[in-house]
Amino acid sequence: MLLTSLQRLFWMVVLLAVQMLVFNHIHLFGYVTPLPFVFFLLPFPLGTERWNILLWGFVCGLLVDITTLTPGIGAASMTLTAFVQPLLLTLMVPKDATEDLRPGYTTLGSRAYFYYTALLTLLFTFTYFAILAFSFHDLIDLVISFASSWSLTFLLCLIFEGFYTKKHD
Amino acid sequence: MRALLDFITKYHHWLLLVVLEGFSLALLFQFNHYHNSVWMTTANRVVGAVNAWEQQAMRYITMGEVNEDLMLRNIILEQNNEAMARRLTELTHDSTWTERRQARLLADVNMLPARVINNNVLLRDNFITIDRGTADGVEPEMGVVCGTGIVGIIFLVSKHYAIVQPVLNSRSRISCRLRNSQFFGYLKWEGGSPLFATLDDIPRHARFKVGDTVETSGFSSVFPPGIFVGKVAEIENSDDGLSFKLRIHLGTDFSRLQNVCVVQQRFHSELHDLEQQADSIAQL
Repeated sequence: MLLTSLQRLFWMVVLLAVQMLVFNHIHLFGYVTPLPFVFFLLPFPLGTERWNILLWGFVCGLLVDITTLTPGIGAASMTLTAFVQPLLLTLMVPKDATEDLRPGYTTLGSRAYFYYTALLTLLFTFTYFAILAFSFHDLIDLVISFASSWSLTFLLCLIFEGFYTKKHD
Repeated sequence: MRALLDFITKYHHWLLLVVLEGFSLALLFQFNHYHNSVWMTTANRVVGAVNAWEQQAMRYITMGEVNEDLMLRNIILEQNNEAMARRLTELTHDSTWTERRQARLLADVNMLPARVINNNVLLRDNFITIDRGTADGVEPEMGVVCGTGIVGIIFLVSKHYAIVQPVLNSRSRISCRLRNSQFFGYLKWEGGSPLFATLDDIPRHARFKVGDTVETSGFSSVFPPGIFVGKVAEIENSDDGLSFKLRIHLGTDFSRLQNVCVVQQRFHSELHDLEQQADSIAQL
């Protein structure tokens, strides 16, 4: 339990550092801002308690907010994504899956993991950009920013999962 | 308490979600000027809209009370108008004993506001129930009026309620007259539209026209004179051809009746008893 928590903390620090030092400085064409720190929520195993993942999501989002000076935006969107993650994972896993099943290419299968990552990153990016804009005044700009940022975030999460799986295998 | 604990245990992740999201949104509105201003603008707009709805609702709720006051005021003004018209007539020509008596009767009238709690206009013999009874001084044979004209006569009374026999009842006969010519007849209802009644027994030599006002004659202890009844809509010959039969467009819309007033005349009982004695002696 302690080891798992330390591992999660380690991954969170790594993701936050990467986000803060690299991805926060990327604004391709003034629209595309990747937010791959959401990857932190993706590998949580099937049997993780709901309150546990909610708190981890909230803390991670809050730390991102502190580094990007946007209090509340990351925390709110990460908390909502953390709430939906167990529900989505339950729909994706095989019926005979054990509680310690960690979602990945090998455990879920490439196709299911692809959908799982796509939907969670979609929910997170949409929530993040909706709260950030907080208005539908520039709807076209908002849709372009959201769609392009989601595409890049989704791609980065798939790549991160490759590294994560190699490290744990 | 146990059920509450069970509820919290079962749905703790929902509660945690609400708390964390609430905290996140509090941070959002507290530390981001743009979000704060958008939130305040929207919140102000919503609060303004809610306040406007509340005011409209309150105005609607108090409308009944305002309506009752206006109706009472209307009746009082109508009575004042009648009294002043009489006074003017007295000053401009020699007053008769009857006119002076009617003016005296009008001064003794008390209007008791009442609310209609049951009403019907679809039957041949309709009745109306009002929320006043003997406890309020209501007695049988008292008149009932509303802001737009006469309603009927008290038929039965209990302690807190009374049944009114309205104009829309085949047994109702109310003495009325034409305002301009003072010819009088009896107002009856022969069924059909609740907006029209018939005034019988207007003599052949009477001169009047369609649109003339019909009012109570005051020749009984029920209604004081001069209360608006309706307007002449059509003129026909009576069945025997000896008098006119007028179709009257009633001032009172019985299908929307809500607030009425019971006409309490100070000497109502005395006058009513005297008239009944006279009737019984005449029948002997």
